[in-house]
Amino acid sequence: MKEKKPKLYEGMYILSAHLSPDAQNKGFEKIKAGITNRGGTICKIHDQGKRRLAYDIGHHSEGHYYLVYFELTPDSVTDFQNELRINEDLVRYMHMKTEKVLEELKFKQLPEQ
Amino acid sequence: MTFTPRRRGITTEPLDPRFKKKKPCPFKAADFDEIDYKDIETLSKFITDRGKILPRRITGVSSYFQRRLAKAIKRARYMALLPFVAQT
Repeated sequence: MKEKKPKLYEGMYILSAHLSPDAQNKGFEKIKAGITNRGGTICKIHDQGKRRLAYDIGHHSEGHYYLVYFELTPDSVTDFQNELRINEDLVRYMHMKTEKVLEELKFKQLPEQ
Repeated sequence: MTFTPRRRGITTEPLDPRFKKKKPCPFKAADFDEIDYKDIETLSKFITDRGKILPRRITGVSSYFQRRLAKAIKRARYMALLPFVAQT
C-alpha cells in the first residue's frame, strides 16, 4: 500500500479562559503532543491570547486563541480530531488545509472609499 | 420615451438600476488573492451591525470574491470571531 503523504494544515484552537495559566499551558501542550505523537511536525505557532467570544459558547464568554501550522497525514488528522472532541478544556477547534504558512498575521488593506 | 420612476421629494436621481454606475470591486482593487477568515478587520466591513452579510449590490464586491467573502465570514462566525446575530 502506498504511504500517505503529510499535508500542511492550519488549526485554530480556543481553550477555555476559566483555566489557570498553568492548566492553560498544559492544555496547549496536550494539543501539541497530539500532533507530534502522530508523527506530525509543527511549523509555526501564533499565540493570539485571550479574546472575547462574539457569542457565548456554553458557559464561556472568553477564550484563549491559538493558531498552529502543522504537517500531518490526513488519516492522523481524523484521529487527532477524535481526541480533541473529548478534550473538555478545548472550547472549539477548526482544521483547514493550507498552501503556505503565514509568518505574520498581517493582511492586505482595502482601499479607502 | 420610457418612464423612469422617481422617489418623490427625496431625490431626483432615476431609480432604474440600468443608470446606476457600477462600483469597482474593493478586493480586485486591493489585489487580494484570497480572503482569510482570520482577517476580522476586513470582514467586519462587509457585515451589518446586526451581523448579516451585506449584499454585493451595496458593496460592489465581484461575484468571485463575494463567494469567498461569504465563506470566510461563516468560518469566522464558527470560531466566534464574528457574531451570528449581534445584539443592537
